[in-house]
Amino acid sequence: MKRLLLPLALGAWFVLPAVPTAAVELNVSAAASLTDALQEIVHAYEASCGDHILLNLGASSLLARQIEEGAPADLFLSADEAKMDSLAKKGLVLAGTRKSVLGNTLVVVVPLDSKLKISAPADLVSSSIRALALAEPQTVPAGIYAKEYLQKLGLWRKVIDRVVPTENVRAALAAVESGNADAGIVYQTDAEISHKVKVAYAVSEAEGPKISYPFAALAASRHPQETRRFLAYLSSPPALDVFRRFGFLVISGPAAHP
Amino acid sequence: MRLALRGLRLPLPRFTLEVDLELHGRVAGLFGPSGAGKTSLLELIVGLRRPTQGSVHLAGRRLTDAAERSFVPPERRRIGYVPQDGALFPHLSVRRNLLYGAPHGDPTGEGKNRLAEIASVLEIESLLDRGIAGLSGGERQRVALGRALLAAPELLLLDEPFAGVDRPLRGRILPVLARIRDDLRVPMLYVSHEPEEILALCDEALRLERGRIVAHGAPAEVLASTTTSRAAAGSPS
Amino acid sequence: MSGEEFQILGFTLGMAALAMVAILPPGLALAWLLARRTFPGKAVLETLVALPLVMPPVATGLFLLRLFGRRSALGRFVHDRLDVDVIFTWRGVLVAMAVMSLPLFVRSARVAFEEVPLRLEQIARTLGASPVRAFVTVTLPLAARGLTAGLLLAFARALGEFGATIVVAGNIPGRTQTLALAIYQLIQLGRDDAAVRLCLAAAGLAFVALFTSERLLRRRPS
Repeated sequence: MKRLLLPLALGAWFVLPAVPTAAVELNVSAAASLTDALQEIVHAYEASCGDHILLNLGASSLLARQIEEGAPADLFLSADEAKMDSLAKKGLVLAGTRKSVLGNTLVVVVPLDSKLKISAPADLVSSSIRALALAEPQTVPAGIYAKEYLQKLGLWRKVIDRVVPTENVRAALAAVESGNADAGIVYQTDAEISHKVKVAYAVSEAEGPKISYPFAALAASRHPQETRRFLAYLSSPPALDVFRRFGFLVISGPAAHP
Repeated sequence: MRLALRGLRLPLPRFTLEVDLELHGRVAGLFGPSGAGKTSLLELIVGLRRPTQGSVHLAGRRLTDAAERSFVPPERRRIGYVPQDGALFPHLSVRRNLLYGAPHGDPTGEGKNRLAEIASVLEIESLLDRGIAGLSGGERQRVALGRALLAAPELLLLDEPFAGVDRPLRGRILPVLARIRDDLRVPMLYVSHEPEEILALCDEALRLERGRIVAHGAPAEVLASTTTSRAAAGSPS
Repeated sequence: MSGEEFQILGFTLGMAALAMVAILPPGLALAWLLARRTFPGKAVLETLVALPLVMPPVATGLFLLRLFGRRSALGRFVHDRLDVDVIFTWRGVLVAMAVMSLPLFVRSARVAFEEVPLRLEQIARTLGASPVRAFVTVTLPLAARGLTAGLLLAFARALGEFGATIVVAGNIPGRTQTLALAIYQLIQLGRDDAAVRLCLAAAGLAFVALFTSERLLRRRPS
């Protein structure tokens, strides 16, 4: 018997790695502003490892609500900390997986053929702006950030009667692209992928809100291992390069969250 | 009346209506088997249908001319029409039904007199302020007749006006029609199955079969010449 | 219900009523045309009128967005010459409600007209009435119940209109937010108790409108 053991062990060593592991399908709920960058990243990831990533893109508020109601999701990529906090409080976040790697800046955009002159925040109050598109300012991160910014400058009350709240930040962008909104406040990254708007001005770091995107695996995930692997990929150099290319800021190091 | 139908043609489901005639009397009677095209002929005269060929003239006025594409709409023809069921307006009272076609612009005086006169001739004075819902068949027909008369027509078409009315009542109404003929002097074209009515009222008679006039002349002659007419007529009870 | 909720209710009722005023002329015309006339292309017209009934409301909304948006010829004209916007304003709400409820009204109105015996209109003509006078004095009064029932049905539909409204007018509190849009927003905000209150209000209004409509239809003169 002892004489068979070594050959058996050697044989297993050769054979076992060849047993195929089944390809896994992951549901990733991600903020709308991440759409284009994520699509590229997911494409590369699927090619390299064989797992299939299903992207559910929308306003972080809507996504958080879906997760709370039990929608099957493995990973949540939120556009603000508040949405992640509310999930964490309900115990829906997988401990130790949360980190905030990306940031963004706000910009004011106008339609490409617009004749309006907007170069400073005060110009937003001008009467020639009859519709100012923002993501819904009560719930959607992009809208919350925009409102925060305008409140800080004391302009919120003055523009509120022409604010057009939209479903998510990409809808605000679309409203400006179509010309139906005279101006809009969206992320720098949104302005960059659009060919139909131009940036009137970018919100400076000093005046702007602190934007950060927390990523986390969800407790109810059926594939925690694969989820962690994808999560790790998202903060790896190749992925961060893609994010940077689309205009995201890279915040150094994982944030310290439980 | 001076009614002329020249070369009138109208294709119907089973045959083509082809009529060429002139009427000069006071009352003309038109009869024939059901489905012969009598109602269609009346509709052509009053302007509710257009022929494919031919023309309609009344007292020298050209009302329809298919060749010239000339057409006077029904509201300007001054031809009254009393259909088989009277077709009273259900949402109007008897009085308002009667006055529907009366010339406007004369709220008092002559208009009122005419209404009183016609109502008296037709014996419907007691019905004036009622709705039409509770009227009997005979009452409905008389109101329909009054309504057509009050529009001051130059010619009155009656399509089997007493088809649903019982005999004794018909006997009482025929004198009324005679008064319309003699006192009010309104020419009439009268469609009926009943020989008695034709004989009592009409100066001339016409028989229509499968869209063609097969007999035209004095009532007694036309009635006698068609022995099949009695069998085909059969008064509805 | 709070003052804000009453405002939403009032706004929705007012807009729906205005939409009814807007659809009456074209609705009556279309219904009469379809009831009384045959012409080449009638089937196409019938289908076009019925389209908003079966298309996804948001699809109709997109069509309207493109039609009235600033990039279209119509939108540019309205914006430049009349200095008026349709998208993201109460006018957008009006357009969405009118377009979505018109087919329902035309359907009911057509039936109402068809039930008026043609013979009565013809008799009116022989009595000297022009086609217009015959329509106004005979057809309309006799079709009135059916027309009113149809209008109430359309009104109920306009009250609940969502898909086209949110695309064309947006969900702007205080400016374009109707009952249905408010309920949607409250659901998103997680304020289900307020959402349920508004749902009950919407259901109550719809019930009254539909019930009255049915009663009217039942007591038509036959």
